[in-house]
Amino acid sequence: MSSVGAPRWRRRALSAALVLLALLWLLPAVWMAVTSLKPTENIVRVPPEWIPRPATLAHYGEVLFSSSRTARIGRAFLNSVIVSVGTVAVVLVTSAMAAYSLARMRFPGRDLVFTVLVGSLMIPNAVVLVPQYVLTQRLGWLSTYQGLIVPEAAVTFAFGVFLLRQFFLTIPGELEDAARIDGADSWRIFTRIVLPLSQPVLAALAIFAFRSAWNDFLWPLIAVNKAEMFPLPVALSFLRGAYASESYGPIMAGATLSALPLLIVFLFANRRIVEGVRVSGLKG
Amino acid sequence: MLRKARLREGRLTPWLFLGPGLLLFVTFRVYPLLDGLYLSFTNARLGRTQPAFVGLANYERLLEDTRFHVSLWNTAFYTIASTLPILAIPLLLAVLLDRGIPLRAFLRSAFFFPFTLSVVTVGLAWLWLLDPVVGPFNYYLKTAGVPVRSWLADPSTAMWAIILTTVWWVTGYYLVIYLAGLQDIPPELYEAAALDGASGWRRFWAITLPLLRPVLLFVVVTHVIGSFQVFGQVFILTGGGPGDATRTVVQHLYETAFRSFFQFGSASAMAWVLFAIILGFSAIQFRLLRGHTEF
Repeated sequence: MSSVGAPRWRRRALSAALVLLALLWLLPAVWMAVTSLKPTENIVRVPPEWIPRPATLAHYGEVLFSSSRTARIGRAFLNSVIVSVGTVAVVLVTSAMAAYSLARMRFPGRDLVFTVLVGSLMIPNAVVLVPQYVLTQRLGWLSTYQGLIVPEAAVTFAFGVFLLRQFFLTIPGELEDAARIDGADSWRIFTRIVLPLSQPVLAALAIFAFRSAWNDFLWPLIAVNKAEMFPLPVALSFLRGAYASESYGPIMAGATLSALPLLIVFLFANRRIVEGVRVSGLKG
Repeated sequence: MLRKARLREGRLTPWLFLGPGLLLFVTFRVYPLLDGLYLSFTNARLGRTQPAFVGLANYERLLEDTRFHVSLWNTAFYTIASTLPILAIPLLLAVLLDRGIPLRAFLRSAFFFPFTLSVVTVGLAWLWLLDPVVGPFNYYLKTAGVPVRSWLADPSTAMWAIILTTVWWVTGYYLVIYLAGLQDIPPELYEAAALDGASGWRRFWAITLPLLRPVLLFVVVTHVIGSFQVFGQVFILTGGGPGDATRTVVQHLYETAFRSFFQFGSASAMAWVLFAIILGFSAIQFRLLRGHTEF
């Protein structure tokens, strides 16, 4: 609703109330970070202390470099970085190429391909879990990086095509026509003209793909059987079993570490994330 | 010579551009979908190289699998009980945020932030928050005089605690989608309604809701597809317990295929039953919410 009829003081009061609610909304995440910084003996103190005094990084050292294999997530962090960056790379290359041909070239079967891709966005991932495992096993890809990257990229590919095609359609064709008259072929036009113009939407897709790869849980839980190949969410879920139930310090340190990369991306590229989500809503 | 090269490019080029992506898509999306349907008619299991065709046996067994029925019921309960809060809370926030208030960008970011977290991170944070003995949630409730219990260990409240956690996690996502939908409503409509003396509520019911219909449809369909596959929150928060009180279909499928019995055929049958239910629900929602809106 626009600002019709709402006097300024009422908007201010509303804003204040919402700020309060927003701060309340952030409390679970704050509590997680605060706990990770407390010495063990202060964690379970009642009433809850919202400022860690004294603050310590001991739990971070412990979960990153602990000598016990199940209680260590340093390697898992690295695995998650490799898998997420790999997924982003595969998604960007395959989606951009496919979207360009669907947006700019005319060929028999084009509409069918696009319809099938968009329709596939409705496939629930849980439905393909077992056959995807069978396939990955047959390829010898269980507990490997490619076994996490390729299926993950396949899920995001269709969305990427949808997102990028929408954008490519808005680029005026004159530049490309001019380049073609000068003798440039499609590949050259795609890499030298279309991609540079599409940096914002490529960034949005990259963040989207990174987020889903970084946070995916069920597939790696099944596809990885070796502790040293676990990505972060799986390693974190086992961290709980590695410590006694009262040891929230190291567990919250691990949880906070897993939140950091996307928090940083979010602080600097808030707009891009929101844009990606916004467009994802348009597909309905 | 030049013309020939161009002709060749004309025919093949689109498929060269599509090739890598289509290979990925067909191998890891289309083929598994069909293979899963095939597996559901076989006695496939881990390590069995030559599965035999067993007709509808896997589906018939599901009719007698009481744990599967419980999982289905729990999943349906979770989906239905969470739909109203997921529809209403982000919508309410979006309508309030869309009034040109100060700090709008900060507010949107704050509500959106939990959605950047993984389901495991969210689950662990709430597990600690809801700790029955030393968690802050129960401490503040007690201080306020509300009777407390071990929310996750009590069969009558465990699913509600999972729903609460999920609402916290995904509200920001739907908020952003609603905000985009609200921006597409022409402000002149509200101005005209205001001139006619329509109240805020009246404007909401007569203008906002009807024009948001496509967005509402998207939110409901997305939410239902996601809810029928709920797994991570439950896995972390309760592990399906107490008893089987929060066991969901995907957890049952996961355990059947990968934890206890390694029965791929049976698990694939569950997957396709789930798929059929999701498609059925989506179709009903399209019918109900489409109305006269064109897409």
